[in-house]
Amino acid sequence: MRSWLFFLICTAVAAAVFGLARLTGNDYVFFAGYVVLQYVVLATAWNILGGYTGYVNFGSAAFFALGAYSSVFFHKFYPLPIPLLIVIGGVVSGIVGFGMGYLTLRLRGAFFAIATLALAVVLQTLIVNWTYVGGSRGAYVIRPDSVPVIGNYVHYLFLLMLALAVIAIVTARTIEHSRLGYGFAAIRDDELAAEASGVPTLRLKLIATTISGALMGMAGAPFPYYLGYVQPTSAFALDYAVNSIAMPMIGGTTSWVGPLVGALLLGSLQQIATVTISSAVNLLIVGLLIVDCVIIAPKGIIGLVQERRTQGTVVADPAVFALLYLINVIPLYFLHQEALSARPLEIIFWGILVYLAYMRGGLAGRRSLAMLPVAGTIVSFVPGPAWLWLVVVALNIAGLACGLLLKPQGSARLAPVARSGAP
Amino acid sequence: MVRGSLQGIDSWREPLTRPAFAAHKRANARLRGLWCGSISPRERGEVKRCGGIGTVDFPIDLLLNALVAGLLLGAFYAAVTVGVSISFGILDIVNIAHPGFIILGSYIAYIINTRLGVDPIVASIIMLPAFYALGALVYQVYYASFEKYGQESLRGLAFFFGLLFVTEVTLILVFGVDYRYVEAAYIGPSLHFGVVDLPLRMLVPCLVALALFGALQLFLSRTFIGRAIMAVAQDQLALQLMGASPMRIKRIAFAISIATASIAGALLIIIQPVEPSVGREYIGRVFAICVFGGLGSLPGALIGAMLLGIIESFTSTFYGPSWSPAVAFGFLLLTLAFRPAGLFGR
Repeated sequence: MRSWLFFLICTAVAAAVFGLARLTGNDYVFFAGYVVLQYVVLATAWNILGGYTGYVNFGSAAFFALGAYSSVFFHKFYPLPIPLLIVIGGVVSGIVGFGMGYLTLRLRGAFFAIATLALAVVLQTLIVNWTYVGGSRGAYVIRPDSVPVIGNYVHYLFLLMLALAVIAIVTARTIEHSRLGYGFAAIRDDELAAEASGVPTLRLKLIATTISGALMGMAGAPFPYYLGYVQPTSAFALDYAVNSIAMPMIGGTTSWVGPLVGALLLGSLQQIATVTISSAVNLLIVGLLIVDCVIIAPKGIIGLVQERRTQGTVVADPAVFALLYLINVIPLYFLHQEALSARPLEIIFWGILVYLAYMRGGLAGRRSLAMLPVAGTIVSFVPGPAWLWLVVVALNIAGLACGLLLKPQGSARLAPVARSGAP
Repeated sequence: MVRGSLQGIDSWREPLTRPAFAAHKRANARLRGLWCGSISPRERGEVKRCGGIGTVDFPIDLLLNALVAGLLLGAFYAAVTVGVSISFGILDIVNIAHPGFIILGSYIAYIINTRLGVDPIVASIIMLPAFYALGALVYQVYYASFEKYGQESLRGLAFFFGLLFVTEVTLILVFGVDYRYVEAAYIGPSLHFGVVDLPLRMLVPCLVALALFGALQLFLSRTFIGRAIMAVAQDQLALQLMGASPMRIKRIAFAISIATASIAGALLIIIQPVEPSVGREYIGRVFAICVFGGLGSLPGALIGAMLLGIIESFTSTFYGPSWSPAVAFGFLLLTLAFRPAGLFGR
C-alpha cells in the first residue's frame, strides 16, 4: 500500500473515532482517550528506536517531559497556539535525542539503556532546579475554556493527540517499508555484520534516536494544557518509561501494528483499572503482562495472531511454570478484595493460569490439569459465602502442585537448543 | 482505595501513628542533614551562611564531615551495588529488578524486627537462604525463557523491568505507601572525633557492607566455585570444556547476587525509612556505580560506590541536595561517553 493511501485511511479512521467520541456526548471519553492516544504516540516512538533498531530507551519520560516543559517555557515567554508548541517540543526533544545518540554512539545493549536512564535523571534535576519553569513546585498553565470551532478544550486536545497518533503511525509505517527501515532491521539483527556490509550504522542510529525523541516530545507538548499543572515528578514519572516499553513488547515490536495494539489494549485496561480500582493496580497489571508476554508470547500479540502459537514449551521448565503461576495469582487475590466492577480484569489472569496449566498438562499428556484453574475461575465468580474463596485458593494450590509433580514426557524434543553464541 | 480496604487484616499493616510519624520525620530530617554532609543543626546553619565554595573562610570541618558522610554513604551504596556487580558485571544479566529485591529485603527485615524484635541485620542474615532460593528460581526462569535461545538482551531486560514493578506494587498493595522503619540500639547515637561526627546508623551499615564485600571478594578469588564464577565471565566455552556446567555456576552466582539484596535491604531500612517505591531511586545509582567501577571487578565497584557517595555528599553540601543526582549522573554519562569500560574495567 502506498504511503499516501495509508495516510488517507488513517485520517479517515481518526475522523471516525473523533466523530464517534463526539456522539457519545461524554467528556470523560475524551479525557481518558487523550491518555490512551498519548500512549499510542509514545509506544510508536519508542518502537522506532527500541523495536526497529533494538536499542532500549529507558528515558522515554525525559523526552516526554522535555516536550511538556518546552511548552511551559514558551507559555510563560509568549503564549503560542498549541500546534506550534507541539512542533517546538518535537524540535527540542529531537535535538536532545540527536545529542543523546551522538554521546552514546559507542554504547551497545544494556549500556545504552543505562545512559538513557542517566540522561533522564540529569534532565529531571535540571528542571527541578530551574525556577523559571516552576522548579520542584511545578508550574500552572491557565488554559482557555473553549476554542472557536471545536468548542470544549479537552475535545481540542483529543483531536490534536489523534492527529499526532496518525502522524506517528504513518511515520513508523513509512520507515518500516523504506531503505531506512531495512537498515534499522539490519542493525537490530547484527550490528557488526550490518556495518561490514556497508550499512551506515552510525548515521542510521542518529536518525532513529532523533525521530523517536522528536515524536515523544511532541506527545508531551500538550501535556501541561491537559492537566493545567505540571511538576517534575509527574512529567518524568516512571510510568511513561515503563508503559512505552511495555506496550510495544506486549503488542509486538517488529511492525507498527504492535505498539498500536499494545497501547490501545494496555492503555484502555489501565484507564479501566484506574477508575474501578486504583492506579497502583494498573502498574501491577502492566508489570505482570510484560513478564507473561516476554516469556509466553515473545513476539507479542501480533505474533500470536500471525503464527497462532505461543512458546508453550517454555513451561517444560518447572521453575518457569512455578514463577508464572505464582505471580499471576497475586493480582487475583488483590482484585478479588475489590468491588465487583473489577471482576472483568480477573478474567485475563485466570486465562493465563488456565493456559499455563493446559500447556504444562499437555507436556505430560494430562491436559485435564487445566480443569483445576477452570474450576477456580468458576467458583470465584459464584456469589456466595466468604469460605468459597478458600476453595479457590485450594484449587490454585492444587493446580500449582499437580503441575510441578507432573513429569513431562518425551523430553527429548524439549532439549535445550544449543546456543550459537559461543565465541 | 486499596490500602484502606486492606487495613486491619494484619497488625503489621497498620500505618505509622502520629507520634511515630513525627519521629520518622525527625529521623528523615536527620538523614537529610547527613545527606548535606552536616549532621548537627549548627553546621547546617553554617552551610547556609557560607553559601558556596568560594567564600573567604573555607569551612574545613564542613569539608571533613562531607568527606566522611560521603565515604559512609559510599560503603552503603557498595552493599546495594554488589549484587548488580555480580549479575550485570560478571554474568551479563541486566538485573534491573535488583532494587525491587532490596526493598523486599527491607520489608522482610522490618516484619521480623517489629514482630520478633530481632536486629534487622541478624534478620537479614537469617533470610539469606530464602533469598538464595529466590535468586536460583529467577535465574532458572531467565535461563529457560531467554538465555537458552540467545534472546536475552531486549526481552530479558523487559522481564526484569516487569518483575521490578510486580514486586513494588505487590508491596504497595500489602503494606501501603507509608514509610516503615526499624528499631535497633545503634539508630540514633553517634560518635564524635574532633569536628567529625560519625552517626552509628551510618557507621554500622558501612562496616557490614565492607564485611560483605570482603567476604564476597574472598569467596570469588579463593574458592573453587568463586573462581568458576569468574571463569564464566571470561570464557564460557572454556569452562564447559573443563567439565563444569556454566548454567549451574551462573545459577549459583545469580542466587548469591540476589542473596546480597537481603543484607542490602536491611542496611537500607536502617539508614532511612522505606516505602515501596524508594527502590526506583537506586536503579540508576547501582548501574552508575557498576559502570563507574568497571564491570566484573568487585574492588572497582567498591571504589565506584565510594566515588559516587563522595560526589553526592560534596555536591549536596556545597550546592544543595537537589543538584546531587545531576552531578552523579553527569559523571556517569561522561564515563560512558569517553571511557565505556569504566575506570577499572576488565
